[in-house]
Amino acid sequence: MSWINKISIVLAIIVAAVLPTIWPNPYYVHLMVIIGIYAILLLGLDIVVGYVGEVSLGHAALFGIGSYTAGVLHFQLAVPFLLAVPASIVVTAFFGALLALPALRVNGPYLAMVTLAFGTIIQILINEMTFLTNGPLGLSIRKPIWFGHQITGADYYYIVLAALVLTLFVVQRILKSHIGRAFEALHDSPIATDCMGVSVYGYKVYAFVLSAGIAGLAGSLFTYSEEYISPNTYNFELTILFLLAVIMGGRKTRIGPMLGAIIIVMLPNVLSDIELFRTISTGIAVFTVAYAVYAVTTRQGTVRQMLLPLLVTLVLAASGYFMENITEHRLTIFGVMILFVVYYLPNGIMGFLRRIVLKYRPQWIHRHEIVAELGDDAHVWSVPDHPVNASGYLLEAKNILMQFGGLKALNEVNLQITKGTVHGLIGPNGSGKSTMMNVLTGIYKPTAGKIEFNRKNITGASPSSIAAAGIARTFQNVQLFGEMTAIENVLVGLHHTYRHSLLDAVFHTPRCRKEKNAARLRAASLLHFVGLSDLANEEARNLPYGKQRLLEIARALALNPSLLLLDEPAAGLTAPDIKELIAMINKIREHGLTVILIEHHMDVVMSICDTVTVLDFGQKIAEGTAAEVQSDEKVIEAYLGGSVEAA
Amino acid sequence: MEILAQLIVSGIALGMIYAVIAFGYQLTFATSSTLNFGQGEALMLGALVGLSLVGYMNYWLMIPLVLIFGAMQGVFVERVAVLPALKTKSEFGWIMTTISLAIIFKNVAENIWGRDDLTFPSPLPTSPLQFFGIRVLPMEILVVFGALAIMLAVEIFNRKSIYGKAVVATSNDRDAAGLMGINTGMVITFSYALSSMTAAFAGVLVAPLTLTGATMGVVLGLKAFAVAIIGGLNSGMGVIVGGLLLGIAETTTGYYISTGYKDVPGLFLLLLVLAIKPAGMFGKSVIKKV
Repeated sequence: MSWINKISIVLAIIVAAVLPTIWPNPYYVHLMVIIGIYAILLLGLDIVVGYVGEVSLGHAALFGIGSYTAGVLHFQLAVPFLLAVPASIVVTAFFGALLALPALRVNGPYLAMVTLAFGTIIQILINEMTFLTNGPLGLSIRKPIWFGHQITGADYYYIVLAALVLTLFVVQRILKSHIGRAFEALHDSPIATDCMGVSVYGYKVYAFVLSAGIAGLAGSLFTYSEEYISPNTYNFELTILFLLAVIMGGRKTRIGPMLGAIIIVMLPNVLSDIELFRTISTGIAVFTVAYAVYAVTTRQGTVRQMLLPLLVTLVLAASGYFMENITEHRLTIFGVMILFVVYYLPNGIMGFLRRIVLKYRPQWIHRHEIVAELGDDAHVWSVPDHPVNASGYLLEAKNILMQFGGLKALNEVNLQITKGTVHGLIGPNGSGKSTMMNVLTGIYKPTAGKIEFNRKNITGASPSSIAAAGIARTFQNVQLFGEMTAIENVLVGLHHTYRHSLLDAVFHTPRCRKEKNAARLRAASLLHFVGLSDLANEEARNLPYGKQRLLEIARALALNPSLLLLDEPAAGLTAPDIKELIAMINKIREHGLTVILIEHHMDVVMSICDTVTVLDFGQKIAEGTAAEVQSDEKVIEAYLGGSVEAA
Repeated sequence: MEILAQLIVSGIALGMIYAVIAFGYQLTFATSSTLNFGQGEALMLGALVGLSLVGYMNYWLMIPLVLIFGAMQGVFVERVAVLPALKTKSEFGWIMTTISLAIIFKNVAENIWGRDDLTFPSPLPTSPLQFFGIRVLPMEILVVFGALAIMLAVEIFNRKSIYGKAVVATSNDRDAAGLMGINTGMVITFSYALSSMTAAFAGVLVAPLTLTGATMGVVLGLKAFAVAIIGGLNSGMGVIVGGLLLGIAETTTGYYISTGYKDVPGLFLLLLVLAIKPAGMFGKSVIKKV
């Protein structure tokens, strides 16, 4: 972090600390407390919405669980503040796990649907479980008394400020650690993440539980701030408000959630005061008109694009002057705002500002941490995490049957891979080569058959556990983490070398630093090995196609695999590049790795493969050395078509 | 025993309503992998529009008009909330936009029809019929048959007509259907029209049995989520079984435990199904090709 950042953070904290002396009015202090509490929750919600890319419609309920845990503990058992708050975090995180574990098993809008239902149920339960929660009457709690001093509203402001700074610090550290990198990776390419031994499901649940714990913290702070809680606070509207705040503030930023919190705390005030609403909506309309004119004149947007937002903001501003009572239409305005933000401010206010800064001062924006380490030959290789026990065959697939509906993509295929060899897998298009690859790495579960790897049965295991056991792969259609730099891609592959815990990451313990430095050196060395050293800090999506393929190899090697699956590595490579690729594969073999190679370039296959298996229509038609296979009649027939005379 | 039978019968009528709404979710999920988080509001609008129309005409004449209204409402939702979100490829844009339209519809309905619940005149006699000591309202029978009829009608349309084949083709593979000259955008719009139409129909079916008001759709829409997941988002059979299961679970819990807790078993069932068979009881798990 640069010193400018450090100074501005210290300054911001000082400004926040003196605010109550500028606005000593208890009403304002209370509003600032609520902003702080919401900002804490939103920082957590952003982990789910921004980083992992799932929608939670249950954060108001989680907030409520945190509130009620603290409230009930205080009310029924007189548990002190400093114990009730951590208890709230734990209880809420537990509920988060309860929701996330089943809901995240499937892709799609399931989490949103389940959390929405959860929100309703929690409200019902709080209302019904009168013996615990006092039902609709609510609970009254007093702020704590510390050393004989009753904490006042102004004192409480500093408690919340401290909690906010702490949350910011913790969230920032987590998101910048290997855990945060895993979140970003799984959002970018879930399949590649799984195949790097990082369980997508596991980390999604992890993110949601973290986020729930933070919501619990916010909830418990809310209880002591309000000194009275009742079930109706934690309703659907609050959930939507939270989501609006995260999107409007700007996802994947720390400032965004705070901006969002300010907006949603002020919003009800704006929407209850018609005069204020008129002023602000007119202001927004003027700004939109100005921006539209600017955009059209500088040709950044067409008149057509600008027409609708212009119309909406103008109608919004005009409606302010027609309405006499605004509270009746509050929700409609609120709904229109969400529509507007989703369509015209998808990256939020921070995203909008960033785009402007990027245009005029691009050097101010650092999207990625620059990694300066230069790799060397000494740190390319490392021993596999799981030593190879098998002698003879490293991998044995027996009678693999893979059926898609009526189609047998693989029909009773046997495959034996001898340890330390390069095994070619060839065949015409649609012969089942890539399907075999996906079966071996656990992406498809075979309909029947058995796969043994390193003397262990891996049939039906998840892709991430197969990867962790030592099978790494590249993809036929490149699956890189496009928004990450080349070296970050490799670091995701090195995820398994990070053994330190969440707490180590938060406190930057020596252990954490040691592992981090080792991983960087290793990643740089791997890039050096595939010849991408000079592109280490370039975003992967900006690399040319051939380089992307090489990057995938580096990333796969980072897993320390004992078996490497290469799916058409030479596709898109130029002739000199192919020569280098061959040298690279030979070097990989020299270091004791076993390689399965799918390739259409026959010269590559013939020059490096020890054994070649030929597939056609899902069946194995030949196997042997390259020369044997080349002269096999069935193979010639499969590639060139049958001879006329034979028919 | 008689009480239990009575509860099951009431549960069936309720469950069929859930099934119709969940069926609406399936229709749009199949074509566009999106669903309308304001489906409950589509039902509510259908019921309220029906209530206003019933003042001028007979219940049976009103139904086709409500169906047309429902279809138009569905087209509106798709054009405003879904189509632009699909174009920008934002993953959850459509969730937020359909929710915001739902909020707007509810608020507008409150301003037009008021905040109080209204009674919907029943088109059938309100005195219950007796079958082996079980009392059944004629309206409940209508709900069950009406719900089955509309689902059957949509299914037959999808299977037999050429337009329906376009819907099925788009559900199977949107890109391939597009390449075969099917206007998949139209198909998605159409599926939204169908979906909201069935919801509006469910609204006028259920309205005489319950109270009608701006907030009536929220809970129904939510329960139907549970039904769609329990049954499977891609299984027609699933929503009926899921709906009946949830309806009966609710009426029995309401009687034997407490009416306050009647919504709870639904969520537990939902989490249980997701934990055991994430694709739903009757759903097929989809293999994602790499």
